[in-house]
Amino acid sequence: MERILIIGGGGTGAALAHDLILRGYGVTLVEKGSLLSGTTGRHHGLLHSGARYALHDLETARECYAENQILRRLAPQAIEPNDGLFVALNDQDLELRERFVEKCTLAGIPTRLLSSAQALMLEPTLHPDLKGAVQVPDASMDAWRLPLHFFAAAQAGGARILPFHQVQALILKGRQVTGARVRDFRSRRANTLAADLVVNAAGPWAGQIAELAGVKAPVRPGPGVMLAVSGRLTNMVINRLQPAGQGDILVPQRNLTVIGTTVWLADDPDRVALPGEHVQRLRTLGARLVPAVAEAPLHAAWCASRPLFSSDGQRDPLRISRGFACIDHQRRDGLEGFVSVVGGKATTLRAMAQEAADMICAKTGRAFACRTAETPLPPYREFLQAHGMPR
Amino acid sequence: MADTKIIFRIMRYKPGVIDPPRFQEFEIAGRPDMTVLEALDEIRLTRDAGLMYRHCCHHASCGTCACMINGAPALACTTRIADLKTEVIHLEPLENHPCLGDLAVDVGGFFQEIDARWTYHRPCGDASAQRTPQGVDQLLRFENCIECGCCVAACPVVSSTPRFLGPAVLAALNNERRHRPTSQPLLLEIAAGPHGADQCRRHLACSRVCPAAVYPARHIADLQRDIKKLK
Repeated sequence: MERILIIGGGGTGAALAHDLILRGYGVTLVEKGSLLSGTTGRHHGLLHSGARYALHDLETARECYAENQILRRLAPQAIEPNDGLFVALNDQDLELRERFVEKCTLAGIPTRLLSSAQALMLEPTLHPDLKGAVQVPDASMDAWRLPLHFFAAAQAGGARILPFHQVQALILKGRQVTGARVRDFRSRRANTLAADLVVNAAGPWAGQIAELAGVKAPVRPGPGVMLAVSGRLTNMVINRLQPAGQGDILVPQRNLTVIGTTVWLADDPDRVALPGEHVQRLRTLGARLVPAVAEAPLHAAWCASRPLFSSDGQRDPLRISRGFACIDHQRRDGLEGFVSVVGGKATTLRAMAQEAADMICAKTGRAFACRTAETPLPPYREFLQAHGMPR
Repeated sequence: MADTKIIFRIMRYKPGVIDPPRFQEFEIAGRPDMTVLEALDEIRLTRDAGLMYRHCCHHASCGTCACMINGAPALACTTRIADLKTEVIHLEPLENHPCLGDLAVDVGGFFQEIDARWTYHRPCGDASAQRTPQGVDQLLRFENCIECGCCVAACPVVSSTPRFLGPAVLAALNNERRHRPTSQPLLLEIAAGPHGADQCRRHLACSRVCPAAVYPARHIADLQRDIKKLK
């Protein structure tokens, strides 16, 4: 069977390693740092129902809902399954409600209308002047433990998972990528990993990896700030019933409340300083939904770069599609043996992997169907039990 | 806040290359309110791409970034430089765990004693019927324990008696016992075994260093009490 080299140990790489193992391929995955440390692990933890995208991106909304249902089944240990509310704070928000519910219905997302009294009964810390709410099947997820389920399955199936291995060069034979030169940060040695096909799943770093092969990947780093305050202020995810904006998501998790998020566009996914004013902005915006956010002790503030798929020249980072694309560089650039997976989001990691693996099947002339939606995943702890990292 | 000079002494270890381990000093300019993890990122990005440390969520949910900070186990992501109040900050890999390289350790040891299927949920504290949304069976939240290994690193019994199950496993075991009463007798038998709860000498270091308010020592006391009843 063909040997596939995956570059990037984020959520996409985790799900893709599992998918390819199920289809019978040989899989090696390299990650330059710690697994899930780049983007996926720093996620605010909202397992989207898709409702957030219903008003402006029905396709993403539909896909999120389907994946939400699949992940609740596959990785229950990593999900707090308490649903979410979209909260109308004023008449303008309330006017949007009918269209919001219509769009959710079109995307297949179940909704339930709640009066302000009903919403306050469920979540007494909500702003007392709220005008109404809509219940949707949002959930909280653990952005470390959810993708670890996929790593556990891939590893048990024979995938080599290599954190602390940085790709330094891609090996080209003519117009064919045949592997990579990789630096092992543990032994400080450079090794050659040969592969029949190399998948660039480096998230916001995908542009840098593509450059090593002399091609481009249409990805733009879109950093954002997230904030966690101490105290579990709600049990359900809380969203503002407005077109998707900044500081309009509150995600409870353990004893914390995470407030997301801001977004801007950057050139380098690494050199992202945390703008101090975003912390105050998030707190102010979050407190409109749940006033107790204003007084809650700050627990942590952090930054992560999203891998935004930027093909259409859209300049507004809030409106750049949260969709994803699998790019066959043979068709695009005449370069064989190289595929890039760009864009997407944590909720759709399995779907991204499915589409990438379908493309790999087509390229290698094999007709294996995807089985990841039905195949149970092992508990996440099995990955760490086997060995947290290669010895 | 103005940038200040911060000096880190980081224990470097590359098996067969930097072996035995030794400290390397890095000086960076940073905000006093910056966290140890932000500083590690800065050092990796500007000085040495090969600096190994584990990290993931950056908000004390994943538990991966635990290391010895000025000699005490703590999470790098929520430890602020200003709170350390030392001119030089010493970073070493988590004690009582095999070191893979630099600050990265293998946490597989204590996970091996935990049944991977043990629940990671507990009911929400305020899960009354009025607060449970229609269609949701039961309001659930993750356990407090983020499986970071700080308690294992702090435990003097683990250092001297490596086969001791240790505070993380015993706390997880006691939780599981509460959640699934049918498993009570079997779990208590494990805790009552020769490497179980009776090895604990009540140093309470585990509870002091726990960044997630799990208080493993209380769980161990629970177990010891019930083990006594068995005898």
